[in-house]
Amino acid sequence: MDIINIKELKKDYPLGDTIVPALRGVDLTVAQGDFMSIIGPSGSGKTTLLNIIGCIDPATSGSVQVGGREITDLTDRQITEIRLNKIGFIFQTFNLIPVLDVLENIEFPLLLMKRSPAEARKRAEQLVEEVGLKDYAVHRPSELSGGQRQRVAIARALVTKPDIVLADEPTANLDSVTGASILELMKKMNELENTTFIFSTHDANVLKYACRIVKIKDGLIEKEPVAA
Amino acid sequence: MKLIATIAWRNILRHKGKSLVIGIILFTGAFLMTLGNGVISGMARGIEKNIIEGFMGDIALISTAQKSDNILLNLMGASIEPINTYKKIKPVLAAQPFIKSFLPVGKNLSMVLDERSDTPGFAYLIGVDFAEYRKMFPDNFTVIEGSYPAPGERALLFPDFARGEFYRYYNVWFVPEGGGAVKANLSKEALADADHLILSSSAVLLGMSSGINTTNDIRFPVRGVIKYRALNQIFGHFCLVDIEAYRDCLGYFTAADMAAQVPKEEKKLLGLEGGDLDSMFGEEAMVVADYKKAPKKIAAEKAVPSDTEDGTYNVVFIRLVPGAGYDAALEKLNRDLAAAGTGVKAVPWNKASGPIGGMAVIIKGALFVFVMLLFSVAIIIIVNTLSMAAMERASEIGMMRAIGAHKTFIAGMFLGETAILSAAFGGGGIIAGVIAVRVIPLLRITTANDMLQILYGGNYFNPLLSVTGILLTVLQLALVTVIAAVYPMRVATGITPLDAISRD
Repeated sequence: MDIINIKELKKDYPLGDTIVPALRGVDLTVAQGDFMSIIGPSGSGKTTLLNIIGCIDPATSGSVQVGGREITDLTDRQITEIRLNKIGFIFQTFNLIPVLDVLENIEFPLLLMKRSPAEARKRAEQLVEEVGLKDYAVHRPSELSGGQRQRVAIARALVTKPDIVLADEPTANLDSVTGASILELMKKMNELENTTFIFSTHDANVLKYACRIVKIKDGLIEKEPVAA
Repeated sequence: MKLIATIAWRNILRHKGKSLVIGIILFTGAFLMTLGNGVISGMARGIEKNIIEGFMGDIALISTAQKSDNILLNLMGASIEPINTYKKIKPVLAAQPFIKSFLPVGKNLSMVLDERSDTPGFAYLIGVDFAEYRKMFPDNFTVIEGSYPAPGERALLFPDFARGEFYRYYNVWFVPEGGGAVKANLSKEALADADHLILSSSAVLLGMSSGINTTNDIRFPVRGVIKYRALNQIFGHFCLVDIEAYRDCLGYFTAADMAAQVPKEEKKLLGLEGGDLDSMFGEEAMVVADYKKAPKKIAAEKAVPSDTEDGTYNVVFIRLVPGAGYDAALEKLNRDLAAAGTGVKAVPWNKASGPIGGMAVIIKGALFVFVMLLFSVAIIIIVNTLSMAAMERASEIGMMRAIGAHKTFIAGMFLGETAILSAAFGGGGIIAGVIAVRVIPLLRITTANDMLQILYGGNYFNPLLSVTGILLTVLQLALVTVIAAVYPMRVATGITPLDAISRD
């Protein structure tokens, strides 16, 4: 079953008087439970593609269906609801809420969904254990290492049991050992929760974790290489 | 809600410096606003006490022929039209349940003549029945020299302030009959000439009233020297004289005139059965004038007749029952007075008191503008600080939006932060303001300046704060909080997840 279905997706950015095309007509389908990597050089359009799938950036034209729902013509409120209920994000810079501790950061999306505090706390405790940060549950982000913060981000992305987790270069700011452990964790969660993971990278070392690799260049998807 | 409050509170603690700046502004604003409201309330109360309770009541009745409603301190002492219908007015006033008391008085300007000076002085006269005046305004002045006149006595009570002014310009120091200069009461100038003071225990007053050419110069014995409890520099221009002597002085019909000149049996002869005074100026006027001339001197020399209400007045001061609806009372009074054909109208005290009432309004307005200005500045500073904070936190806000926070959540977070700061610091400012309002009267800060006395709400600085006043301050603070949070909220809710990523 396809969780993402993209057709003829184009994205242009105005730059002064000129228009810079970031995506020139992308067609892509992603199946439920995929652990997919989007690779390509800087400026190829991989972040743009992830942002559009994640309902963060609107498409210029084309069709993007997430979980069977067209997302290109939704209101801000509807789009926010999709981001909250269907998608999890892992950012390159670990973006956590600085004033909340680890558990509070993880349960934050559940509280936005109006889940009961007890239920949210229970789920957060489960995930903090799964990402191996039980001993750091009440620490603030500033008290954690980069790798630990990214683990918190992964737990937070998974806490709502989203259909898709999008990760934009999740290991870019980590050393290779920590990066590998993060990818292993993502892979583990992919298998554990059957969540679709799409992550962008230009680090060849991380490709071995991907079940599927999509290569993008100059805003167009190239022929998919053989999965590892 | 708890989540918003938690994040807002922790953000305040995280940005202690900015929070403190905003907090201090809110504290100062709330403190000054509370104190300002206290001063305004105290001033309103002070004006009420000083002018309404101490000088002219809530409402003044004046002749419908009177052009200006201002009858207290009118330009160049313009004369106040006479009222000859008090006998008709009295039952109308007595029938009103909302009227507590009323007092008819004469009020006009007089020249003060002195044989030792070529230039006349001037003084406002208030002609009263002394006994009734004391009932209406029991504690508005103290007699500092001499004594209070006996009922019906022809006498003059000279204000301490006017005495000082007279000495300054005419070198005559008025003292009560049989008394001498009291050193403690001498003005600075008089004290300098203490050994050569020219003392006078009587004053010759010549009434001044437009339209009447028959005013008289009358020598009044100074019975006492008085000092007004408050606003002495304003009220201190008003000499109190007995009403009959006042009428004599102004050339009005005295009660004695009325009693003596128109006995019943002669009314028939004069054709005055209807009590129409105007008819006295008809063909029979010559007869009346002749008749009037002889008994008048007798009347002036003997005791004042028992019913002084027959003569002419200029104003009737009215006190309302506490809690009476002011506008409704004024409206009903005017209606009933017109229906009774009294030829008078009721005007509110603030119009009747002219510049004093107006000054109070101006001071109140200025204070209000000052407080609002202060809060406008506070709003601008808070808006700037919070807006900058919103932009600095673009990554955090954008990330929150990316993971599913609605704009309302972000707006709530900012409003929450401002509300917590307002509640903590603004609330502290209000409490400090309330304490200040309670403590200041205990310090008994006094002033001799009359304008400051209006502001002070009495002889000493006496701000006053009611529960309504406190609630009003809380409401104003809430308004400031909301206004100050609106723009930063817009800035914050305008931050998109893409902004956060772009910044990274």
